[in-house]
Amino acid sequence: MPKLLLIEDDDITAEEIASDLRWRGFGVEVAVDGIEGLEVARGGAWDVIVIDRMLPGCDGLTVLKTLRGEDNKVPALILSAMGHVDERVRGLRAGGDDYLTKPFSLVELAARVEALLRRPAASRETLLRVGPLELDLITSKATRGQRSLDLLPREFKLLEYMVRREGQVVTPAMLFEEVWNYNFVPQSNLIHVHMGRLRRKLDASGETPLIETVRGIGYTLHAPT
Amino acid sequence: MPRLDLFRTTAFRWAMAFAAAFTGLSIVLFAFVYWQTAHYERAQMDTMLRHEATLIANDPAGANGALRTWLRDDAHNVRYGILVGHDGVPQAGNMPSVPKDLWPDTQPQSVTTEAHDPDGDQRAERIRALGLKLADGRTLALGSDTDAVEHVSVVILRALGLGLGPMVALSLLGGAVLGRRALGRVTILSHAISEIREGRLSGRLPITGRRDEFDRLAVDINAMMDEIERLLEEVRSVGDSIAHDLRTPLTRARTRLERSRNAVTTPAEFAAAIDEALGWLDQTFAVITAVLRIGEIEHGRRRAAFQPVDLGQILVEAAELYDPVAEEREITVRVDVEPASGATAMGDRDLLFEAVANLLDNAIKFTPRHGHVLLSLVERDGSLVVTVADDGPGIAEADRKRVLERFYRAERSRQREGVGLGLSLVAAIATLHGFGLTIGDHHPGCRVELTCRDLTDSLSLAGEHSDTASKIEAVDAARDVSAFRSSSSPQQMFRASAGGAVASKTSGKRAGLNS
Repeated sequence: MPKLLLIEDDDITAEEIASDLRWRGFGVEVAVDGIEGLEVARGGAWDVIVIDRMLPGCDGLTVLKTLRGEDNKVPALILSAMGHVDERVRGLRAGGDDYLTKPFSLVELAARVEALLRRPAASRETLLRVGPLELDLITSKATRGQRSLDLLPREFKLLEYMVRREGQVVTPAMLFEEVWNYNFVPQSNLIHVHMGRLRRKLDASGETPLIETVRGIGYTLHAPT
Repeated sequence: MPRLDLFRTTAFRWAMAFAAAFTGLSIVLFAFVYWQTAHYERAQMDTMLRHEATLIANDPAGANGALRTWLRDDAHNVRYGILVGHDGVPQAGNMPSVPKDLWPDTQPQSVTTEAHDPDGDQRAERIRALGLKLADGRTLALGSDTDAVEHVSVVILRALGLGLGPMVALSLLGGAVLGRRALGRVTILSHAISEIREGRLSGRLPITGRRDEFDRLAVDINAMMDEIERLLEEVRSVGDSIAHDLRTPLTRARTRLERSRNAVTTPAEFAAAIDEALGWLDQTFAVITAVLRIGEIEHGRRRAAFQPVDLGQILVEAAELYDPVAEEREITVRVDVEPASGATAMGDRDLLFEAVANLLDNAIKFTPRHGHVLLSLVERDGSLVVTVADDGPGIAEADRKRVLERFYRAERSRQREGVGLGLSLVAAIATLHGFGLTIGDHHPGCRVELTCRDLTDSLSLAGEHSDTASKIEAVDAARDVSAFRSSSSPQQMFRASAGGAVASKTSGKRAGLNS
């Protein structure tokens, strides 16, 4: 059971988030201010920290900076009411690994926490494989079995992202941030349409779909069983 | 308000200052006049003494007689004279002796002599005198009373007094009158201002029609009040719009939940009800987020982080992003980037992309199936112009300006979903960058142009462009205001509900949190 530390000063929000994450199989502990949060963070072996940006006692960014200064590399997700790109950049600079603006949905939070826990290790591999799918990162060629896939550069990036997170659920917001690299949120159905096009290229008739839609959350890619 | 003291009014203070300056000037002037007059009198006297002394000296034999005649012809009783022999004995004249401090054979000097009053008393008299050794060795001294010179100073002092007194009095009076008048006007104005401050915002300052400085000030203040009232009205209507946009989805969420509580029986039905309610809540978050976002952009704190942005690349990427959507609706999106490459504008890449994406989103949304959307970047008159155009229904001319206002909705688009913020977001981004934003006609359809002027900075950075400026112009057809509005709303919804919007009928595990 992954151990998650939630540092959030609003007790109702904290309880809602904690309950949901426990239901999803996390061991959640809650700290209510920055100072307590820092102590608890130092005192345990955490798999991931979810920290509110604005905290009484000690600001969330300060907590993160302090932890990073102590060479604590626990993945951290910042929750913030401030959605400005500059704020986001500041958050990431302070040592955050992801940044989520309030209000958010719990599925979005869960998907991002999951992504932090299963961050793909920085690998030097130039060939990615999932089942029959093969991606050559050097030539930017993708094949499924014997069939070469005719992908646009963006589709290739999208597929690469999905392949690297095989088995994880990724949300449209995550895709837009990571694949398109823009920090504003487009219409949700934009990503859906892109994904639809990618899937049509990926799955020939009769083949098992590689990418599945997870209703209400996002998408997941896995090898056909 | 503290009562204004008359003596503290500017008018009174100026009057006093002028009176003081005038008094000082008068004194200097009169002193000069006195000095000049006295000098003239003395010179006259000296000439007369020298002339007479010469006459007497030229005829030593008749000197005694001549002196006596001169002294006798003295109508004003101002002449003094004496002739003293070798032995020092006075031979003729009305002075007891030659004044001790009189040096003979020099210029006339001021000396003191003994003199007799008409009533016989001896007294010391200050005179102008000239001493002369005659050819026969006798000493001649001639003098003249300086009373005349002294009289000049008395006259001048009196004139000074007579002139200055009334002038100072008049200044005081004038200052007081002007001060009172100014005070009266100021009191009236400050009354009017107090009333406005107490909430009667439609109040205006009275204007007398005299076209004086107070009128001018009042006209300016009134104009300012008009602007303030207009802005307040705008804020009020924006507030109303926001309230409306919040109330609609909140009401829907509430009724949906309330109805489900009573009527729903199976878990699946509950889940559906909750999902629907969550959808409505997400829409309220979308409104709030959009309003905050525009506020952030309008604050304009991001300018410092501006960098040269390749506008052509932004157009290409935006077109790419919307390509599948356009394809689905069988709309042709054409991208025309005229400046070969590297046409940059100083700006924020994310915001500029968001602006173009918003415009493109609208264009695609309002273009009918098989329609055309044009994205172009051209240089025109030293500016870079980004154009987003479509052949949809266009925006009515009367609405073109208003669609840029926050939350404005053309009546017919009221029914559509969304937040009225898409175009206002674009407008805010344009303003932040100092770009021009115009909505025009594309014959048919809508054409939005984003004009990027004054690119001197970016040009020096871009290097390639020797032209003066580049411009962005975004032309697009937001024929319908809700287009713009809804373009931002789903984004925000997306932020709020993440995956929720992808498939809105979901199991009930989502929860929008807002803390």
